[in-house]
Amino acid sequence: MKQDTAAKTLVIGSTLFFGMALTMGLLTALKFIMPTVGEIEYLSLPRVRMLHTNINLFGWLLQANMGVLLWILPRVLHTKLFSEKLGVAMAALYNLTILGGLVCIVLGRVKNVEYGEIPPPFDYLFMACWLMFTINVIGTIAKRKVKHLYVTVWYTLGAVIWTCFVYITGNMVSQLPMVTGINQANLIWFYVHNTVGLIFTPMGVAIAYYLIPKQLNTPIYSHKLSMVGFWVISFVYVWTGAHHMLHGPISHWLQTVSIIFSFSLIIPVMAVITNFFGTFATAPRSTRLDGPIPKLLLMGTVYYIFTCLQGPFQAIRAVNEITSKTDWVVGHAHMALFGTFSFYAMAGIYYVAPKLAGRELFSKKLGDLQFWIMTIASVPFFAVLWISGAIQGFAWLNPENTFVQTLAALKHAHVIRFASGGFIFLAYFLFLYNILQTFFGKYGEKDKTEPAA
Amino acid sequence: MKKLDVEKSLILMGIAAFFLFAVGAVCTTIVPPLVDKSLWTTEHDVHEYTEQELRGIEIYKSEGCVYCHTQQIRHLASDQRRYGWRLVNAPASESWEYVNDRYHFLGTKRTGPDLARVGGKYSSEWHWAHFKDPRNMGEKFPDRKGIYEKASIMPSFAYLSDEEIKDLTSYIQTLGRNQNWRIDADGKPLHDYEK
Repeated sequence: MKQDTAAKTLVIGSTLFFGMALTMGLLTALKFIMPTVGEIEYLSLPRVRMLHTNINLFGWLLQANMGVLLWILPRVLHTKLFSEKLGVAMAALYNLTILGGLVCIVLGRVKNVEYGEIPPPFDYLFMACWLMFTINVIGTIAKRKVKHLYVTVWYTLGAVIWTCFVYITGNMVSQLPMVTGINQANLIWFYVHNTVGLIFTPMGVAIAYYLIPKQLNTPIYSHKLSMVGFWVISFVYVWTGAHHMLHGPISHWLQTVSIIFSFSLIIPVMAVITNFFGTFATAPRSTRLDGPIPKLLLMGTVYYIFTCLQGPFQAIRAVNEITSKTDWVVGHAHMALFGTFSFYAMAGIYYVAPKLAGRELFSKKLGDLQFWIMTIASVPFFAVLWISGAIQGFAWLNPENTFVQTLAALKHAHVIRFASGGFIFLAYFLFLYNILQTFFGKYGEKDKTEPAA
Repeated sequence: MKKLDVEKSLILMGIAAFFLFAVGAVCTTIVPPLVDKSLWTTEHDVHEYTEQELRGIEIYKSEGCVYCHTQQIRHLASDQRRYGWRLVNAPASESWEYVNDRYHFLGTKRTGPDLARVGGKYSSEWHWAHFKDPRNMGEKFPDRKGIYEKASIMPSFAYLSDEEIKDLTSYIQTLGRNQNWRIDADGKPLHDYEK
């Protein structure tokens, strides 16, 4: 089978899912302004929200990360993918699984697991896909032609191992009949938080660790910082699940543990960020921000700082009292998964798509334009969620404000969220057009240079 | 500095990453129910759901109510006051109250108000009208005019069958009543909805 078919399938699949996810997001935002829009069972607000999160996480982001990594791994390990056939089979099964899961959500057949609503048998099929991916990753590492494992490989290896346990705990163990109430809630939040922390963070960071030095043509700033970042995050991240229940009905000691470890997360994150910025700072000025790839990587890293400073502070009891359960949380989640990891994933796709197609990117200018629209629109998009979250949080402290009054006060915020989200949605089509043209368009000569080994 | 060997070995790297992770994973998932038994068992009298209420729970789950309504009164004065009833503060939610919940609906976001203690606050007739159209509950509920018509963004659940709305309502009426927190002068529980 032709080399890189699996990566290509996953990259194209994810690019298409990204559009569906943004459509659902926009529809959710619209329903906050006009609740009677699309008032049918299959498009009720909660179902659209479930579609939005699941398509984003699994259809778009995870698939994009897997596709990009299946291209990167053989390159850093100086070998071929362990099994291209297994990769393609996984890509096909994965897309069918996600589609099947989405149909279930539309029909209201869901689990009570946030981010894991996709019901059996599709969650079991997802796990099968993940194992196939794991075999491919480990197999490729095993047959490598270099001695040293580069940082990208550490993170990918960590992600595939951790995710097996995280996914099974959240989606299968939590649904066992004897797991009830708060015990179940604890397992599910273990899953929810580690979905972001031990799937998307390591995979996104793995991609950035490859792309930043490669794109800027400069070595990574510090090997020691890479080690600090990786080993600390693999120890620290997993403890934080209970910070979703601060002040809530779970053991006080467990809350405190989650706060301490949430705060400790500043250490690995700052190590990673210093490393990324250090690499940017030592790169030649003239090419540092040339084209969409380094721009997306830089902006993603900026959002990574913000999101990872927000996280630890939100986990402090006094701050949590105001921010928790409000729109603030939504802003925080969007900055992590859209601002940071979707930006990294888009950078990855901009990087590998031309390599997969064997020619130059269709248009750098269009990529730049897409970057600027998304970045400029994302600032008011995140900010308005934090502002409305703070308004809600403080308004709720005063019993004189009825709940519906605090909701009415956020009307303007919901309008701004919809409008700025709309720009992000429009910019997506530039991305889609650029990538599809690169793969299938009729332009230019084939780039003769062999994909970098 | 001599490079750690772990960076040259797939096996060592995999084992190290797994064990570092496993410490935290065990301490936060397996240890809590062993240390704190109230997460899964209790001496208190906890409501056992009827067939109808269990059907209601399934509807609550598939309609995704949890994405806008939390079910936890946090240990915060503001929560206890806001979700109290007629100047009685709602008691904070305790872990034992949930032991019979096959599915937890604690939630992360309050687009609508918390429902942990909503059982008994409104009549089933009120819920009926509210599920049918949250922005226009009809002449029977004059206090839901004005701001509710403009600001409420809850979707209408008019597409549910009459039976389904009854099932859902029966579940909602049980919420929060494991603690007898509203009592009359003689210490008898007040169940406003039964009137």
